[in-house]
Amino acid sequence: MNQQQQPATGSQPGASFYMGQRLEMEYLCADCGAKNEIRPREPIRCRECGHRIMYKKRTKRMVQFEAR
Amino acid sequence: MATANATGGGDEEWMRMNDTRWRGLGLTDSIKNIEDKWLLLPAFLKVKGLVKQHIDSFNYFVDVDIKNILKANNKVTSDVDPRFWLKYTDISVGFPDRTDPDAIDKSITPHECRLRDTTYSAPIYVTIQYTRGKKIVKRPNVCIGRLPIMLRSNKCVLAGRSEAMLARMTECPLDPGGYFIVKGTEKVILVQEQLSKNRIIVETDPVKQIVQASCTSSTHGGLKSKTYVVTKKGKIYLRHNSIAEDVPIAIALKALGIQSDKEILLLTAGTTEAYRSTFSQCLEEAAKLGVFTRHQALEFIGAKVKVNRKVVGPRRPAWEEALEALATIVLAHVTVKGTNLRPKAIFVGTMTRRVLMAMNDEKMVDDRDYVGNKRLELAGQLLALLFEDLFKTFNVTLKSGIDKVLKKPSRTTEFDAFNTMQFTGDLITSGFVRAISTGNWSLKRFKMDRAGVTHVLSRLSFISALGMMTRISSQFEKTRKVSGPRALQPSQWGMLCPSDTPEGEACGLVKNLALMTHITTDVDEEPIIRLAYLLGVEDISLATGTEIYSPGTFVVHINGSIIGITRYATRFVYNFRKLRRAGKVSEFVGVYTNHHQKAIHVASDGGRICRPMIIVEDGKPRVKMEHIEMLKRGEVTFDWFLHEGLVEYLDVNEENDSYIALYESTVEPTTTHLEIEPFTILGAVAGLIPYPHHNQSPRNTYQCAMGKQAIGAIAYNQLNRIDTLLYLMVYPQQPMVKTKTIELVGYDKLPAGQNATVAVMSYSGYDIEDALILNKSSLDRGYGRCQVLRKYTTLIRRYPNGTFDRLADAPVENGQIHKKYDIIQPDGLAGVGERVEPGDVYINKQTPANANDNSFTGQASAVSYKNSPMAYKSPIPGNIDKVMITDTDNDQTLIKVLIRQTRRPELGDKFSSRHGQKGVCGLIVNQEDMPFNDQGICPDTIMNPHGFPSRMTVGKMIELLAGKAGVLAGKLQYGTAFGGSKVEDMARILVENGFNYAGKDILTSGITGEPHEAYTFFGPIYYQKLKHMVMDKMHARARGPRATLTRQPTEGRSREGGLRLGEMERDCLIGYGATQLLLERLMISSDKFEVNACEDCGLMGYNGWCTYCKSSKKMAQLTIPYAAKLLFQEMMAMNVVPRLILADAS
Repeated sequence: MNQQQQPATGSQPGASFYMGQRLEMEYLCADCGAKNEIRPREPIRCRECGHRIMYKKRTKRMVQFEAR
Repeated sequence: MATANATGGGDEEWMRMNDTRWRGLGLTDSIKNIEDKWLLLPAFLKVKGLVKQHIDSFNYFVDVDIKNILKANNKVTSDVDPRFWLKYTDISVGFPDRTDPDAIDKSITPHECRLRDTTYSAPIYVTIQYTRGKKIVKRPNVCIGRLPIMLRSNKCVLAGRSEAMLARMTECPLDPGGYFIVKGTEKVILVQEQLSKNRIIVETDPVKQIVQASCTSSTHGGLKSKTYVVTKKGKIYLRHNSIAEDVPIAIALKALGIQSDKEILLLTAGTTEAYRSTFSQCLEEAAKLGVFTRHQALEFIGAKVKVNRKVVGPRRPAWEEALEALATIVLAHVTVKGTNLRPKAIFVGTMTRRVLMAMNDEKMVDDRDYVGNKRLELAGQLLALLFEDLFKTFNVTLKSGIDKVLKKPSRTTEFDAFNTMQFTGDLITSGFVRAISTGNWSLKRFKMDRAGVTHVLSRLSFISALGMMTRISSQFEKTRKVSGPRALQPSQWGMLCPSDTPEGEACGLVKNLALMTHITTDVDEEPIIRLAYLLGVEDISLATGTEIYSPGTFVVHINGSIIGITRYATRFVYNFRKLRRAGKVSEFVGVYTNHHQKAIHVASDGGRICRPMIIVEDGKPRVKMEHIEMLKRGEVTFDWFLHEGLVEYLDVNEENDSYIALYESTVEPTTTHLEIEPFTILGAVAGLIPYPHHNQSPRNTYQCAMGKQAIGAIAYNQLNRIDTLLYLMVYPQQPMVKTKTIELVGYDKLPAGQNATVAVMSYSGYDIEDALILNKSSLDRGYGRCQVLRKYTTLIRRYPNGTFDRLADAPVENGQIHKKYDIIQPDGLAGVGERVEPGDVYINKQTPANANDNSFTGQASAVSYKNSPMAYKSPIPGNIDKVMITDTDNDQTLIKVLIRQTRRPELGDKFSSRHGQKGVCGLIVNQEDMPFNDQGICPDTIMNPHGFPSRMTVGKMIELLAGKAGVLAGKLQYGTAFGGSKVEDMARILVENGFNYAGKDILTSGITGEPHEAYTFFGPIYYQKLKHMVMDKMHARARGPRATLTRQPTEGRSREGGLRLGEMERDCLIGYGATQLLLERLMISSDKFEVNACEDCGLMGYNGWCTYCKSSKKMAQLTIPYAAKLLFQEMMAMNVVPRLILADAS
């Protein structure tokens, strides 16, 4: 998905390079739950089962809820 | 039961049947009750499901009707090469599959279609035979298009699956099915109500002194026409659209081959003297016009026939024109074999006789609103029409494609029609998708142009989805002020729900099916006609008027067309029913006697409303205790009861010809049927109300509307769904007081509400006008808490010029990420679970600057991008629930983000009990301030007792009582309509547990600590939280955006609009004379504008300069509304000069 991999050219308002390590995002197949990577402009399809729907994984950051 | 006031000889046996001491059985004979006969209902629902009408209709279309349509249009020929032909020999619909060519697993689930915004459709395969050169080629399984598949139909992957298998497909087992998924949205084709086809309807207009018999003919070829027999100044005429003028009835009959006046008289008036004298002047008229022979009659009509045909060759003589019109267009449904028009003549004769009868006795008219005269059109029929239209268009395109190739003088390869067929495109596929997703059924071929046929399935709550599946919309105009079609018809009993109808403009026009109704599909009438003859019916063509109208003779109609006469009506009907109960005839064929018309009607057409009933013979129900025992043990199904002739379906007309006992104790010797359960007269939505028979009827209607707005569980797959808007309750409970309907529809598994402990008392002053007081601690414990999930979606598009959208990570400014991009992860999408504040970006999309520039040919990666991020708009923060990424059908990346808000009840949120008693939260009170009883029980809700006297919702009081008893006994109680737990038993349980029998408690005030002086009605009532929440409605504005054109404040909450001072408010201010306030509200605070106007010419200038006078001498400045200035300028553009006449300028 990430466009920053592309050889970015010209002025890009708003879009900047993500400095630091370029970790590949992982997605979960909606059918079998296998971990997948999504590459730009490639059809979205699970490596394991061929399913076409992917979900994003939950964030690694802490999420705090207000208990009311 | 029909009243027995008809004239004639058949009445004696009718009276005999009504005799209570028939066959020696008296009223006092004791009858054993069949316990649990209501178990037939779940058995019925198990076989048929809740939306069986839709599914049966669709199955009939896919399995039977589609083949008939193919048969009617099975040949394609070419104008160029007469040797070429192409024939369709077979058609079938496959199972839903993926269109994706490189998919391994071709099967597809409905849920995947919902998520991916695709259509749940299956290919339509045909087998074709055609000539290739000199050979005949056969090709099986040629796909001609795709048909959207109804969920749970027999072509659906969900059909007959177990709960576990459904769970694997992320499908809810309680979901009724019966809808389609088109482009990701769930679409329902509503049931359409229409007047029945091919039947005679006699009506009178007492004002104009007109009697008319009309008949809408509809044949399978799609021909539709309406024929009237009308009176005009005491004479009778035949009227039809294709004949320019009304034809005197005698002439019409002569043209149809009844030449002699005597025969005409017999065929219409028969031997009844009164009718004869009325009819005599019609015969006279024909004689006056000089029409005596058939030829003369045909010439007479032929001169008036509208020729609706391209003239090919010489013009035909008038009589031939007339003959063709009479044979094919007038009363098209009456089959004409060769040139034998006699059946048609007899039909016209019958219509005339009905008119004569109505002229003599105004009671002999039909009721348009009678449910027996109605037919319901379902998805299957509508799709069949659509398919026929599309298939014909497909064949026309195919033919022109073939002609185009065959026209070429020399071809490199031998012509293969199959290739042309592949090129004909997705005409059928896109036709279906377009019709279902827009709801516009405009089929020019069938003169049909209907909008709003389909609706999006409302998933607000489980009940709203279910209620939508049973909805019937009527074709009547909503604006007309006639009450007839809106009124509750007695014949609706058991077929249509008496409570479930909307209030307001569609009241009574939109109806709902009752729980046990079934809608018939077409049954082949050919074998039925044969059977009728075998049962002793004499062919109508062999009879003259003397026999037809002789006393004791009954005319036999099959689906409206007259086929014969019989003198043994009772025996015929008895035998016919016997054969049906034996399963020799389809169970959905109805037969009944009409004693007024002396006719027996057999109906096998589709769209009739019917329901099952227990057969009673010799004063005893045929269903016995042992049968119910067998049913309980699961040895037999509902179909077995049908097959054994214990239970049968009755349509409305036959129901009217039967004597149905409501309870077994009321079975009399003359009784023919017994109701399965009285509560089935209500529909699925009204069935949720406990003790509805104790409520004032409009309250039940209100609850039917509100039950659909209640927040609760929607389906077992609710957390896997990504809907535009989804309301879910956090802790739903099943009601303490259930009904049998609740268990049958599964509302106890997918409830929408909570059992609140209610104290019926006054508290503070914040409970007036139905407001409720809520306990703050209850809210903390989760009472009324709900979640709102909203879908936000975007496409990562690829543009025709080779450029594409992209997702970018958060931009860094001075080494820091801006706060609103905080949750964006490196892939440009927000992290799942993250909290979204108002204004936060959750999809950081960028679009190429030249996306719409089609002349661009450069490198796609070299273009510059502009930001088009999607930011969260709601004023309340939410959490990212799900981020889904997928490809659509045309390989665009689709991203759906689901954002969840959790809401606890607040001041102004709307709640309602199940008795049409809605109210908003007026005050939230700390638990310590709430009253409590000796056990320390504290109410969740306080309801003002003023809600009871005028509303008369006694059912709510009984619900409280039964609920309280249930709580104490640890059991769920029943409040089933016309039954349920008895108040006396409930009172006993209360007393046994040391409570007051009337459900009253002594409460202690939480504020003063003193006991209340009065007893308080106190106990659990099932409360629903409705979707109307203040958070979504709250709105105020001081200053804000304005519309560009008029510079007035925008309209509506979503645009942060101003609050309108409307016309009526303006009238008040004018009436009061508050000019300054008016000026301020309408101009200063809205769109005031300074203009320069010239005192001389009265036109507007600028900067103190008049462009018309070319001077600045007489310029004045004034303030007017910008809209007024705009109006002046627009008028000037139209060549109208508005001039301002200024006074007091300087």
